[in-house]
Amino acid sequence: MNIKEYINSGILEAYLSGELNEVEMQEVDKLAGIYPVIQLELDELRSSINSYAKSTDQSPPSRILTNALKAIREEEKDRFINEIENSGKEVQFKRVNVVPVWSIAASILLVVSLGFNYIFYTEFKSVKDNYELAVYENENLSASVEQASQELQYASLKVAHFLNEDNIHVRMDGLDVAPESFANVFWNTKTNAVFISVDNLPEPPHGHQYQLWAIKPGLAPIDVGIFDHTQLIQELKVIKGNVQAFAVTLEEEGGSPIATVEKTFVKGFLKKS
Amino acid sequence: MTQPVPQLTEETSIDERIIYLLCDKDKNGISLIFEHYGPFLLNVIKKVIYDDDMAEDVLMNVLLKVWQKFDQFDAEKGSLFSWLVRITKNSSIDKTRTKDFRLTEESRQGPELVNIAEEVSIDDSIDKMYIKQLLDQLPQMHRKLIDMSYFEGFTHKEIAQRLDLPLGTVKTRIRLAIKHLRFIV
Repeated sequence: MNIKEYINSGILEAYLSGELNEVEMQEVDKLAGIYPVIQLELDELRSSINSYAKSTDQSPPSRILTNALKAIREEEKDRFINEIENSGKEVQFKRVNVVPVWSIAASILLVVSLGFNYIFYTEFKSVKDNYELAVYENENLSASVEQASQELQYASLKVAHFLNEDNIHVRMDGLDVAPESFANVFWNTKTNAVFISVDNLPEPPHGHQYQLWAIKPGLAPIDVGIFDHTQLIQELKVIKGNVQAFAVTLEEEGGSPIATVEKTFVKGFLKKS
Repeated sequence: MTQPVPQLTEETSIDERIIYLLCDKDKNGISLIFEHYGPFLLNVIKKVIYDDDMAEDVLMNVLLKVWQKFDQFDAEKGSLFSWLVRITKNSSIDKTRTKDFRLTEESRQGPELVNIAEEVSIDDSIDKMYIKQLLDQLPQMHRKLIDMSYFEGFTHKEIAQRLDLPLGTVKTRIRLAIKHLRFIV
């Protein structure tokens, strides 16, 4: 491109006088960006025309600038006031709609409530556990008390039988089958009732029971009755006649009409009066 | 939008100074536009608005719009002057649609050529008077062409018609006139 020719074509003068359309002006801008000499020519042309304008009093009156700056200041003032007013509304808007105060308060209450729920639940659970433990202990204690009470009752009954002058006391000691075992029989001479005190008998095998027998001379053992080995004092059958001794055998559940002598656990003889 | 020039130096061009100031929301940018482009923009307005007072109003509005819309200026798309001319042309056309303009248009008279010799005022500086004297060396025709082309809103075509000259001759003579002017000032 011949730049000198381009400059001499008068297009730059036309550019500054507003003679060119938008596309033509952009073309000049583009070339001025590429070729500094064109930009320089434009600057000098503008400077010359401005000097001419000043010298010939053809510059736009300064009141135009004064009024424009005044209008700008007014516009800035209005915008400033509007922004303050709008910013006030915005704050209100945010407070009411974006993050309502009640929702913050509700959130805080919810968190506090959840905290208390946890604390109360933990306490409740602890109290419940303690309660259950207490109930369990109470049941145990009740059982113990009941057992103790029963034992006391048996002991009292046993003492009563011992002290009863009408009773004949027979101590039955363990034989070879169970040497550590022992039991006592109280036989009331007036009523002929027989009581057994289960003091120390081993747990009978499944499907078996202890049975008390009265032994008379020259006769087969007489059934006095089956008994519960867990109960200390039990009243059994009435026995009359010349009883020589009492013995306990292990029999099948429900008892046996004939004593299984080889399974005699304890045996005791009446003292000769 | 164009980023502000980091620092203003002696070599910073007028356009760069203006862009820097306006990006910084500094009103001095508007003053610089008025100082360096005011005559050119007023001339663009006068191509559409023949009434001087009304043309001045339009220029004032152009300066206000430049201030308001400067964030829309994109240096990639053209020069600052091209952008200013576009706003000025649009503002001028907008003005012609007002009732105010139509009323003035009815009583419009043709633009008058300014008699330079009568325009000397008492507060003119010595430099200015010196240049005035130098300008007297400009042939009358050259001054007329410069005035019509740059200050009175005539298009080259209108000048050719008024002075009864071929369009090509008008263009050449305008260029010669400015060349002469540049030699003087």
